Amino acid sequence: MNWLMKKLDRVTESRTRGVAQVTARRSFMGRLAMALTGVSAIPLLPVARAQDGQPAETGDPNSCDYWRYCAIDGFLCGCCGGSMNTCPPGTEMSPITWIGTCENPADGKNYIISYNDCCGKTSCGACLCNRNEADRPIYRPQQANDINWCIGTKNLTYNCSTAIVIGTALEQ
Amino acid sequence: MIKDSLFTALLLSLFGLANAEIQPEPLGKVNTLPESYPPHWIVVHDAAFFHMLDGRQYVLDADAESLPEQVKGMFNSSFIATVNQASVRPEMYVAETFFSRGSRGERTDVLTIYDKPTLAPVGEVILPNNNRYSGIPNQFANTLIDDEKLLLIFNLNPATSLSVVDLVNRKYVGEIPIPGCSLAYPTGKRGFTSICAGGDLYSAQLNADGTIASSGRTQAFNDIDTNPLFEKPAMVGSTAYFPTFLADMVEVDLSGPAATLGERWSLLQGDDGGWRPGGMTYAISDADGQLYVLMHPQGYDGSHKDPGVELWLFDPQSKKRLARHPLKTPALSIAITRDKASPLIIATNVEMALDVYDAKSGKYLRTLTGFGQETPFVVHGAR
Repeated sequence: MNWLMKKLDRVTESRTRGVAQVTARRSFMGRLAMALTGVSAIPLLPVARAQDGQPAETGDPNSCDYWRYCAIDGFLCGCCGGSMNTCPPGTEMSPITWIGTCENPADGKNYIISYNDCCGKTSCGACLCNRNEADRPIYRPQQANDINWCIGTKNLTYNCSTAIVIGTALEQ
Repeated sequence: MIKDSLFTALLLSLFGLANAEIQPEPLGKVNTLPESYPPHWIVVHDAAFFHMLDGRQYVLDADAESLPEQVKGMFNSSFIATVNQASVRPEMYVAETFFSRGSRGERTDVLTIYDKPTLAPVGEVILPNNNRYSGIPNQFANTLIDDEKLLLIFNLNPATSLSVVDLVNRKYVGEIPIPGCSLAYPTGKRGFTSICAGGDLYSAQLNADGTIASSGRTQAFNDIDTNPLFEKPAMVGSTAYFPTFLADMVEVDLSGPAATLGERWSLLQGDDGGWRPGGMTYAISDADGQLYVLMHPQGYDGSHKDPGVELWLFDPQSKKRLARHPLKTPALSIAITRDKASPLIIATNVEMALDVYDAKSGKYLRTLTGFGQETPFVVHGAR
């Protein structure tokens, strides 16, 4: 499902800052872990395969400011037992969803991102993230992140949201 | 003799103490509320975003200073429900969803009818197609029409339709497809208007049995790509005031059988550039017909759900801004009490507490919090 809010993000921002201060001493380990995760994850990305040798992605895929999350609203699956493009164990990925168009700062290209929800369990509760670039009201559902997209799955309950690259956006 | 007197006095005092003991109290007493809630009571929809099956509706007195005086009671609303209140019956209507095994199992969509005095469920109407809209609570997904005889419940799966419930007989009537359109704004004698992906509005009048009697569409006027209408208008009588992402106000007359487009005017003046409406519930009206819009500065693509830092007050007749009220804490949603004399604004702030302001002066009065709320996204003034 997708929604919630920057507003909540702002509430948690100060807490996050506090956490960041506490965890700064571990940042080397954090960066190492991120690098290892990135190395293993990048070959799985279709876009990375298609652009062999090009800079693929930068940033932390479990952070709300990651480039793919420009229109997301919900819990990041990478914090819930899944990843930015896979669902946590025991959930089911919604076959239909809303889409965003996000610019990848690593290559300057715009990509179509499909924010498929993972369904069948209740709210993950971690890494709540809401960004609304090109989000539209629910009367244009395919661009609306206010909707619980656990539609077409066995169960309506919403657990978390992925952000899957499905192609590059056409130049305007 | 003295000894006897002392003894008597002691006995008397002991008897007096015995008389001062707490008397046994009756068991099983349960409080009730009035059929018509006082004008400064509010119904707070906590969607329980982190625990969606445990949604709640809190009934609070926004005038009271202490928590025990503020909290009047609560009732439940399962899985990001939508809620409405009748004014002709002491009832509230919760469109909600249950699963047969708690978080899993067979889905049941149902309209539950709550009694205002007891906050108890007193009736239910099963919504047989299990396609109720599931998402951020929206007051126009649960719409009373026909002098509150019929209720329309918005469905999205993702085909869109409206379930029609006869509230007098507590009976499911049927479903009206509204392809490409969403939500329901009360229109005319017994009808609704929906807002459509084609940039137009679709209206229909119903027969008493809930079937369509007539329908119509406006021209396409809503530029959804560049400056879309927000989907939650402020209602003044039968006129809907839709703010747009880029701070226009679009009037739509809903008094006739079908929606008629009215004037479009800007919320901005002078050096207001960059200010935009936004939040979750961002436009409301008071009993005098004045409009309140939640505004934030330095708008950008995607800021339409950002919290507002000021409340702007407009007279829709003159289309002039009457006041700017800075908020104590940025807010996501605003609501207003129903009274004309001294209405209160209730603002769901970013800390998920409710700030209470005097509507006309903008003066901050108090904060309602600690009543068990988690994510009180939408507040309704008691009807």
